[in-house]
Amino acid sequence: MVESKHWASRLFVVLNYCFLGFLALSCLIPLIHIFAISLSDSAAATGGLVILWPVNFTLESYAYVARRAAFWHSMLVSVMRVLVGVGLNMVFCVVCAYPLSKEKDQFRFRTVYAWYFFLTMLVSGGLVPLYMVIRQTGLMGTFWALVIPGAVPVYNIILLLNFFRQTPRELEEAAIIDGAGQWRIMWQIFVPTSTAALATVALLSTVYHWNEWFNGILYMKTPDQYPLQSYLRTIVIDMKLTNMGANDWQALALVSDKTVKCAQIFLASLPILLAYPFLQRYFVKGMVLGSVKG
Amino acid sequence: MQKTARAPARRRSGKFRKELPFHLMLLPAVILVFIYMYIPLGGLIIAFQKFIPAKGLFGNQKWVGWDNFIYLYHLPGAISALKNTVIIAFWKIILHLIIPITVSILLNEVRSTAFRRTAQTLIYLPHFLSWIIMGGILIDILSPSGGIVNRLLGLFGVEPIFFLGSNDHFRFTLIFTDVWKEFGFNTIVYLAAITNIDPNQYEAATIDGANRFQRMLYVTLPNMRMIIVLMMVLSLGNVLNAGFDQVFNLYSKQVYATGDILDTFIYRIGLIDAQFGVATAMGMFKSVVSTLFISTSYYCAYRFADYRIF
Amino acid sequence: MKKLSVFLALVLAVSMLASCGLAEDKPDPFGKYDEPVTVHFVRSTDDTLDANFFSQHPDKTMTDNLWCDLYRDTLNVIVEYDWIVKGGDEYDQKLNIALGVGDIPEFVNVNTLQLKQLAEADLIMPLEDVYDAYASDFTKKIMLETGTSPFDAATINGHLYGLPNVDSTLMIADLLWVRTDWLEKLGLPIPTTMEQVMATAEAFAKADFDGNGVDDTIGIAIAKDLWGQLFSLRGFFNGFDSYPGIWVEDENGNLVYGSTLPGTKDALRTLHEMYEKGLIDPEFGVKDGGKVAEATTAGKCGLFYGAQWNSIYPLQSCVNLDKDAQWRAVSIVPATDKPLKAQTDVGTLHWTVVRKDVKHPEAVVKMFNVFIDKNWGPNNENGIYYAPLDSESIWKLSPVVPTNPNKNNDAFMDLEQYRKDGDESKVTGEAYSILMKLKAFESGSEDGFALWGWERIYGADGAYGVLIDYQNKGMLQDNLFVGAPTETMTSRMSTLEDLQDEVFIKIILGEADIDAFDKFVEDFNALGGKDITEEVNEWYASVK
Repeated sequence: MVESKHWASRLFVVLNYCFLGFLALSCLIPLIHIFAISLSDSAAATGGLVILWPVNFTLESYAYVARRAAFWHSMLVSVMRVLVGVGLNMVFCVVCAYPLSKEKDQFRFRTVYAWYFFLTMLVSGGLVPLYMVIRQTGLMGTFWALVIPGAVPVYNIILLLNFFRQTPRELEEAAIIDGAGQWRIMWQIFVPTSTAALATVALLSTVYHWNEWFNGILYMKTPDQYPLQSYLRTIVIDMKLTNMGANDWQALALVSDKTVKCAQIFLASLPILLAYPFLQRYFVKGMVLGSVKG
Repeated sequence: MQKTARAPARRRSGKFRKELPFHLMLLPAVILVFIYMYIPLGGLIIAFQKFIPAKGLFGNQKWVGWDNFIYLYHLPGAISALKNTVIIAFWKIILHLIIPITVSILLNEVRSTAFRRTAQTLIYLPHFLSWIIMGGILIDILSPSGGIVNRLLGLFGVEPIFFLGSNDHFRFTLIFTDVWKEFGFNTIVYLAAITNIDPNQYEAATIDGANRFQRMLYVTLPNMRMIIVLMMVLSLGNVLNAGFDQVFNLYSKQVYATGDILDTFIYRIGLIDAQFGVATAMGMFKSVVSTLFISTSYYCAYRFADYRIF
Repeated sequence: MKKLSVFLALVLAVSMLASCGLAEDKPDPFGKYDEPVTVHFVRSTDDTLDANFFSQHPDKTMTDNLWCDLYRDTLNVIVEYDWIVKGGDEYDQKLNIALGVGDIPEFVNVNTLQLKQLAEADLIMPLEDVYDAYASDFTKKIMLETGTSPFDAATINGHLYGLPNVDSTLMIADLLWVRTDWLEKLGLPIPTTMEQVMATAEAFAKADFDGNGVDDTIGIAIAKDLWGQLFSLRGFFNGFDSYPGIWVEDENGNLVYGSTLPGTKDALRTLHEMYEKGLIDPEFGVKDGGKVAEATTAGKCGLFYGAQWNSIYPLQSCVNLDKDAQWRAVSIVPATDKPLKAQTDVGTLHWTVVRKDVKHPEAVVKMFNVFIDKNWGPNNENGIYYAPLDSESIWKLSPVVPTNPNKNNDAFMDLEQYRKDGDESKVTGEAYSILMKLKAFESGSEDGFALWGWERIYGADGAYGVLIDYQNKGMLQDNLFVGAPTETMTSRMSTLEDLQDEVFIKIILGEADIDAFDKFVEDFNALGGKDITEEVNEWYASVK
C-alpha cells in the first residue's frame, strides 16, 4: 500500500514536470520565432525560411530600430502611462475595494455602491459619447486621456474586495480597540496582508495599460504622443491588398519588412517580461505573511 | 414626537459618522465613474436612430425605433454568427476556467522554485503577442502540408487536418489556440488565491495521513472555491464575446460558416459605412444578454453556494 | 467619351455669369493674401513620411516644412492641423467619430460617403463657383486627366461639394508577372494566351527549380483577398471578359456587376482545372499576401497576376536571395476572342470639402493650384517638392495632394526618350530621380542591386511600358460606378462580396460544382444585388 502510494506519487511528480515543461516550451516557441526573424536577413524572412534559428544572422534590424526615434519615444510614453495609470488604478482599487469588502452591518450602503460600480461592467455607451465626454472634460489630445477615463478598474476592485474579505475580522476589531481609524486599518492591516492579491491586480493593470492601443490612436492629437502599442499597431498592419490607393504600396512595402517588425515586437515585450519576475516576489511574500497570520 | 425621534436619529448619525470614512473613500471613484461611464450611457439612444455621423450626436438624427435590431436580425448570416458566437464563447468560458485552475494546482505541487518560476513566466508569454502575429505563426504550425502539428499527428497515422480552412475543425482550432495563448495569464489569479492558503492546513492534512492527491482535493481546491465562483460568474458575462481579435486574424471566407462571430460580422457590415446605430444596437443586445447571465449566476452563487461575489 | 457631365455644363454657365459680374476684379489663382489666412485641416500620416523624411530631418514637423513654407510664402496661407492620426483606416474611424460629436474641421479630406452625408446635412459648401473662379487653367486640365468621374463622384444635385485629390487609375491595372529565367531554362516563350499561361504554370510546377525533390512548387500564386493588387485574380478573370468587383456597361448601356458576367463562369472552371492539376496552393484561401510572398521569394512560384509595383515588394527579396532570378511584367492574356481589357478602379480616394462657415474657401483651390503647378507645371520644381532623391515622400507633407494622373507615364516616356538619345539634361523632376535609381542599378554595386525592383518598372522592358500599351490600345476597363455607396450597398454589399468569394473559392477547390455559379448569380440578385443594380443605374443616369 505504502509502496504503491510512493510509486504513484513519484510518477505524478515526473509526469507533472514533463507536462508543465512541455506547456512552458510550447509557449516559448512563438517568441523565439520572432526573435530569430529579427536577427535574420530580410529576404530570408520574407521567404519564410526562418523557423527558430536566424538565417544569415544580422543585427541590421536592431540598428534600424535604434535609429527610429518614434519607437523609443512611444516606449517612453508607454512607461509613463504604466507608471501613472497603474498608480492611479491601485489607489482607486484599494480605496474602493476596502469599504466594499465590509459586511452590511459595518457599511449599510455597500451593496448600493457595489452595484453602482458593477453595472458599468455590463453596459457601455460606445465610442461616440465617450469621445464627446473626453473632449468636454478637456482631456482630448493630452496624456491624461489615456489614464483618467479608466482610472477606476471595476474588475480589479471586485477581485480585490474578495481577497480583502479573507482578512480575519479579529485583526480589524483588535485595531479598533487600539483606536485605529478606518484609513489606518486599511493601510496597516489590509494592504500588508494582501500583497499577493495586490500584486495580481497590479499586474492586470500593468498589462492592460501596456497592451491597450486604441485609445492612443483615438484620443491623441499627433502620432508622436502614441504609446508603444498604438505605434506598433501602425506598423504591424494586416496586409490588405484590396481598396488600396495608387500610392499605398509604398507604405505596404515599407512596413512589410518582417525583420524590423519582429525586432520592434520583441523589444516591446521585453519590459513587461522583466517586470513579471519582479512582481513574482510578492506571491511568495504573501505566503510567508499567511503563515504568520495563522 | 420630537423626543421619541431624537434618539434613533442620533444613533443613525453616530452610525453615519462611523461609516463616513467609507463614503469618503468611495467618493472620488464614484465621481469619475459617473463622468466617464454613466454620462456616455446617454449615447445608447443611437441604437434607436439611423445615426449619420456627419449630423452629430445632438443633430437632427432620424428615430427608427427598434429598426436597427430588426435589421440586424434579418441580415443574412446574423443568426449563424450568433450561433457560432455562443458555441465558441461557451467552450472558451469553460476551458478558461478548468485549464488555468488545473495548471495553477499543478504548479503549486512543483517543489523546485526555479522550475516553478520559470514555467510561470514562460506560460504567460503568448499573451503579449497580438493575434496578428500569432495568426502568421499558426498558419505555419497548423498547415496541412508540412505543419509541425500535422507531422506529429502523422506519426499516429492521422491524416493531415486543415485546421484553419475546414469547417469541421475551425471552431476547435479557435478554442484550443485561444486557451493555449491565454491560460498562463489567467493562471495568475488562481496562483494568488493558492498563495493565500494557510500552510498549516497542509501540515494538518499531512498529519492526518492525507496523500498528495487528497491534499490537492481537500485543501487546495476548497480554499480556491470563492475565487473560482467569482471568476465563473464574471466570465459568464462573456457569453457573447468570442474574441474579435483572434477570429478576425484567423478566419477566412472558407470558414465563415462556422467561424464568423457577431463582432466580425458587424465589423464587415460597418466597413462600407460607419453604421454606429447598428453597432450600438448590437452592443446593447450583448449587454442585455450578459446582464441576464451574470445576474442569474450571481443569484445562483448566492442561493446555492451562499456566496456573494461582491 | 460621354456626354458633357452636368457638372461641366454648370461650370460653363457659372463661369459666364462670373465673368460678367467680376469683369474688373478677376480672381488671381495664385494671388497672395494681404493678411495671413490660417487654414485648419486634419490629416493622416504613414510610415513612409517617418522613414523617408522625418528621420532625415528631425527638426521638421508637419506644420514646419517646405510645403507649409511654400504655402505661406506664395499665398500667405498658414497650414494648421486640428489632429493627425497614423494610418488610413484609423483616419476614417477617427474622422467618423469626430464628425459624430460635431467636430467638423474647416477643411477636410473625406471619402464619397462622408461627403454625401455632410452635404445632405448641409454642413459643407458647394465649391463649383470658387473652383471655377480660382482654379488655374493648368489645374483644370490636370484634374480632368482621368475623365469627369472624380467630379461626378462629388456632385450632388448639380453642386460640386468636394475637390477631388485626383490620382491615376492606370497604376492599379493587373499585369502578369513571370520568372523569365525559368522560361529560358525550359525554352518556353512569354505566354500570350490563356493556354500558354496554363502550360507555363504546369511546366514551372513540374520543374522543381529549387531541386529539393519535394512537390512544393505552385503554378500560379493567389492570395486570400483574390482581387487585391498582388497575387490577384483580376487579370486572370479579365482574360475571360469578366470584371469582378466593378460596374461595367452591358450591351444596352446599363451598368451590371462585373462578377456576374458569363465569362466569370469560364474563368472559375479553368481555375478549378488548374487546381485539379495541382497548380494552385490548396491553402490559398487562408493565406494573405505576406504569406504567399514566401513562395515567390523562396523560388517556389514563378507566375502570378498583380500590379506594377510588385517588383519592389515582394519580388525584390526573391532576387536578393537568388541573384540569378529574373522577373518581368507582361500583358495579361486573353482566353476568348473578345477584345482584351484590364480592369481598373477609381483612383481618387479623397475629396477636400470645406465647412460651411469658412471665410476663404478659395484658399484651398489656390493650394491645389500651387501643388499642381510646383510639381508638374511648366516651371515645376518637382525635383525639390515632389520626390527628391533623399526624401521621396516629401509631397505627402502637403494637406492636399491632387496628383497628375499621368506623371508616371510621363516619367516613363522621358526615360524612353533618354534611352533613345542619351540626353540626360531633358530628364527632370521625378523622372530624374528614377533615372538615378536605374543608373545605380546598372552600376552593379550592391546598393544599386536593391533598386532592381525599380528597374523592373521603369527599365526598357519595364512594367510601365505594358501599362502605357494598355492605355494606348484602349485596353482599360474603368469602374463606371464612382458615386457614394448606395442605400442597399451599405447594408448588403459586404455580405454579397463575402458570398461571392466564398462560392468562388469553393468552386476553385472543387467543394462546389461549377453550377454553383448560376446559383450565386440568383442569390446575388435575391439578397439585394437587384436593388443595388437599380440604384447604381439610377446614379449612372443622373451623371450621364
